[in-house]
Amino acid sequence: MNAKFTSLKTRLIVHFSVVILVGAALYVIFGVRLIGTTVIRQAQDKVKLDLNTAREVYRGEIATLKQTVRLTAERFFLRDSIQNGERHTLLAELERIRRRESLDMLNLTDGEGRVIVKTQRPGVYGDRLERDTVDWAITHKTAAASTQVIPGEILEKEGTAIAEQARVKVIDTPRAYPRPAAAPGEERAGMVIGAAAPIFDRGGALTGVLCGETLLNHGYSMVDKVKAIVFKGEKYKGKDIGTVTVFLKDLRISTNVCTSDGKRAVGTRVSRDVYNRVLVEGLPWTGRAFVVNGWYITAYEPLRNLAGEIVGILYVGVLEAPYIDLKNRVIFYFFGITLLCVVLLIGTAYFTAARTTRPLNALTRAAGKVAHGDLDYRVPVESGDETGQLSEAFNRMTADLEKMTEGYRELNRTLENRIEEKSMELEEARDRLVQSEKLSGLGKMAAGVAHEINNPLTSILINAHLLKEELNAEPRFAENLKIIVDETARCASIVKDLLAFSRQTPPRIVSGDIRPVVEKAVLLLKNQASLQKVTVFNESAAGLPNVKMDAGKIEQVFTNIILNALDAMPGGGGLFITTGLTGDRFIAVTFRDEGCGIPAKVLTKVFDPFFTTKGVKGTGLGLSVSYGIVEQHGGRMDIRSEEGKGTTVTVYLPFK
Amino acid sequence: MIYKANILVVDDDRALCKSVVAALEKEGHTVDSAFSAEEAMEKIEKNVYALLFVDLMLPGKSGLELLTEVKETRPDVTVIMITGYPSIKTAVQAIKASAFDYIPKPFTPLEIRGLAARALEGRYTYEEMASKLHIKEERLVDVSIPPGIYCIHEHSWAKVEDDGNVRIGMHHALARTVKGVASIEFPAVNEMRFQGEACVRIVDTHDQVLRVWTPVTGMVVMVNEALNEQLSRLIYDPYESGWLVKIQPTHLEEELKNLSPVMQE
Repeated sequence: MNAKFTSLKTRLIVHFSVVILVGAALYVIFGVRLIGTTVIRQAQDKVKLDLNTAREVYRGEIATLKQTVRLTAERFFLRDSIQNGERHTLLAELERIRRRESLDMLNLTDGEGRVIVKTQRPGVYGDRLERDTVDWAITHKTAAASTQVIPGEILEKEGTAIAEQARVKVIDTPRAYPRPAAAPGEERAGMVIGAAAPIFDRGGALTGVLCGETLLNHGYSMVDKVKAIVFKGEKYKGKDIGTVTVFLKDLRISTNVCTSDGKRAVGTRVSRDVYNRVLVEGLPWTGRAFVVNGWYITAYEPLRNLAGEIVGILYVGVLEAPYIDLKNRVIFYFFGITLLCVVLLIGTAYFTAARTTRPLNALTRAAGKVAHGDLDYRVPVESGDETGQLSEAFNRMTADLEKMTEGYRELNRTLENRIEEKSMELEEARDRLVQSEKLSGLGKMAAGVAHEINNPLTSILINAHLLKEELNAEPRFAENLKIIVDETARCASIVKDLLAFSRQTPPRIVSGDIRPVVEKAVLLLKNQASLQKVTVFNESAAGLPNVKMDAGKIEQVFTNIILNALDAMPGGGGLFITTGLTGDRFIAVTFRDEGCGIPAKVLTKVFDPFFTTKGVKGTGLGLSVSYGIVEQHGGRMDIRSEEGKGTTVTVYLPFK
Repeated sequence: MIYKANILVVDDDRALCKSVVAALEKEGHTVDSAFSAEEAMEKIEKNVYALLFVDLMLPGKSGLELLTEVKETRPDVTVIMITGYPSIKTAVQAIKASAFDYIPKPFTPLEIRGLAARALEGRYTYEEMASKLHIKEERLVDVSIPPGIYCIHEHSWAKVEDDGNVRIGMHHALARTVKGVASIEFPAVNEMRFQGEACVRIVDTHDQVLRVWTPVTGMVVMVNEALNEQLSRLIYDPYESGWLVKIQPTHLEEELKNLSPVMQE
């Protein structure tokens, strides 16, 4: 019937712990996720910003180049020199400018785009400079600058150095867009940022175009500049926090990403995904990419030429590591705090559960104790809440139980006492009944004997009388006959007394006050007493308990004693009657007279039946009958006397 | 004045019977005896008896039954019971059943003769007796029985007083048979008397002893000693100043059953 016992405390703790742990777990899971995504998003936003910055720097570069070229193009000397056909002057000056401006190519064409001066190849001139920017300048008569891809064969016209620099060996890149099998293993085209500005003569007519370019292939100034501006050259654990790359189509041509051996990672290609999105769709791409030796958060955007065609990609990559480390650190702290909280909460749960259930344990023990009979035990009331109230209620219940038990014990004791009392009463009644049975048995026997005797006695008596009548004349028989008659009469008297003695009715016992019985007896003989000049003094103690008695018979006893006292004081005297308690069982009624007293040798026979000192008058039955009556009541009678002084008769009657 | 009569003595004790017969015959009565109630009835049918002495304790049919039978068949016969002490109560009942009186054993010839004489005298009516005895009329006062009285019929009366005690006296019918009171022997206070026992002995002027039976059992609490100063009050005023003793009754209610309640004459 008993379910397996798991303590309330344990259950509470387990439940709370489960809730806490589940909560904590959910918290941690979502928290970590949130942190992760937040950090990642932060990084990505940064990358986008960095890309923007990179773009701006790139554009800035182009703008600077445009400005440079334009300003240079506006120089009078250029106009004049073209006018004058001073090639050598132009060459020297433009070379000087080229070097000063760190341009890779600085070419001057005429108004139709035919090369006048090619600073890199002084001896070459007259061919067309095939550039979009030049065409634009010629067409629109304003400066133009942009990114441009110059095909390999055109680039060769710039000289072997340039062509050499442009050559990029294509390295096998796993996830790149597959190159056509026929494609050469190296790229010869060159990506440049270039600017062309028209030159006008004095008349405002286009006389020439100045074109300046910087080759991006293997050219690192631009990317390094961007990196310096954006990332300030910072490193994180030995790695650059940011890198910049320029792609010609999907080929990495200029970068500050270094391979593990420190060389710039030129020649690798972008992944297919980037190719499709950036080169094909023309949209920027951000993502996480493993670049050479580390994970970076990368952003790519298309580079367009003057016509707006996508010719390459600008890339910015931010080292993931710092963000990852930040994320991890945050997560670690987060996790740590959560763990701490969990521990604290579970600890609190434990403590609370223990505190709550402790009173219950105390109550359980208390119930056990009370069940074993220890009703004094009280549970300490520790709190004012429900368990406290329960403890109080328990204590009250125990107190009530104690009282009730005590009450029952009390009742038990009372009942036991009553039973004892009643048993004793019953015993006494039975004894009295036995006694009266004896008496009545005796009485019946006596009656039977008397009856039997009476008949012959009557016959004898009658015949004695008849004889006496007949022989009355003859004196010699008179004496004998007198004796016969007298003694027969005496027999008759004895029989009568015997019958009277044994014909006592059983007493009717009723509880009552003894004093009125004494008073009644005194009252009865008042006249006789006053005739004899006997003064009666009647004293009784107050608050006497009731005696169980047959009042009539006891009155008879008292009158008997009083009569005897009166008989003993024919000349007068005092009769002192006192009623009081003796011991703890009896009431004593004492009758003291100042009469003639009873001699010692007679005293012993006083209670014998038929004993009399009164001569013919008294039957002498009184005292023995009285004695018998008092005995019937469970009492005692005693007599003390001093000849000449007086007699004291005491009747003891039990009241308990 | 002695009236001689036919008497029948019924007792199963032959010696006693003989003795009683002898005692009565000495008075001049004609006395028969029977030893059982049945024998008695036979004799009663054959002879006319004025007086019957019947022992209460008889073999077979009891004395009381004989009494009842006799009173049915010969109501004019006066019946006196002979009792032993145990049967005194029955004797009182016998009076209720119309016995004239009873005499307890043992008794002397004097006593039984006196009782016989009283019984025979009682057979005559008041007027007859008055003329026979030459008694002055004024002596015989018509008395009416006060209410609340129980009697042993025409023998003694008992009146329950307010204090619960019982005053006892002689019935006027009995009082009339007393010619003159010579002395009264009262019982002592505090003595017990049982119903049917003699409580007072009256000796009349002819030395006849008359015993008055107490109607109730109890302890004697008072005696009318004043009567000694004017004994005639016993005859003239048996219910008032002629009362005899006062008894504290012990079994009053039970014993009243044996007594006759007030009978107005």
